[in-house]
Amino acid sequence: MTAPALTAPSYDDVRAVTDEVWTTLLGEAAPLIDRLVPVGTPFDSVGVWSAAVTVSGGWEGSVTVELTTYVAGALTTTMLDLPHDAEVSDADVADAVGELVNMLGGNVKSLMPGPSVLSLPSVAAGRAAFSSDAREVARVEATWDGEPVRVTVHNSTGETHR
Amino acid sequence: MKILIADDSRVMRQIVVRTLRQAGHGGHEIVEAENGKQALELVTTERPDLVLSDWNMPEMTGIDCLSALRASGSDVAFGFVTSEGSDEMRQRAEAAGAAFLIAKPFTPEAFDDALRSVL
Repeated sequence: MTAPALTAPSYDDVRAVTDEVWTTLLGEAAPLIDRLVPVGTPFDSVGVWSAAVTVSGGWEGSVTVELTTYVAGALTTTMLDLPHDAEVSDADVADAVGELVNMLGGNVKSLMPGPSVLSLPSVAAGRAAFSSDAREVARVEATWDGEPVRVTVHNSTGETHR
Repeated sequence: MKILIADDSRVMRQIVVRTLRQAGHGGHEIVEAENGKQALELVTTERPDLVLSDWNMPEMTGIDCLSALRASGSDVAFGFVTSEGSDEMRQRAEAAGAAFLIAKPFTPEAFDDALRSVL
């Protein structure tokens, strides 16, 4: 008897991937802390960066990250090895947030059946919006240094994990 | 030694340079490319000893760059630094002629281990 094909990453998998990427990029001094957010609550709509990658092939889905401007800036200065109060351009923030979602998406892709292709990241200043046929299968809600961070995984056929 | 770093993210190229330094490989000359196509051209003009390349890039992917290099007769040492570290990707990288694949997020130790295999 063969096990059924994995149709969605579990919450625990997505949380573990998020923690690993986060601590590697930002260090272990300020870890992500879980927060409870009611289902369907939009991410804070002011001062937000978001980025997404899609996976196509053996598994069809997307991985999205949403961060406040403060967290996106801290991520950028840390990745560029700059002082935390250093001025950073929108291009650098887009680059850093895009690389964050690329790492998250690549690691989620590695957990799922293949072969499949990872897209280049798309980055926006503003919260993410999802089409009506996108089905959320896992969502990590956390805070970092008191500011919200959200990672969501969508596909069209999977089970939901929160 | 001259190392060519190919990644469409300037931030990631900077992190790779910093990680090389942290791994004890900071004394090498660095050349940077923003995509596989540029990397392919720079291998000809700059003649690096090692290419560290992202997989997923605009214009030309890292795996297409590696295939083009091998098709042209180049045997430059080539390693991937990519967010995709599955067994399938590692097998594809090895089959195309890559010496190693470092998965993001990475540590200086991972860089040191990989570079020792080609130095």
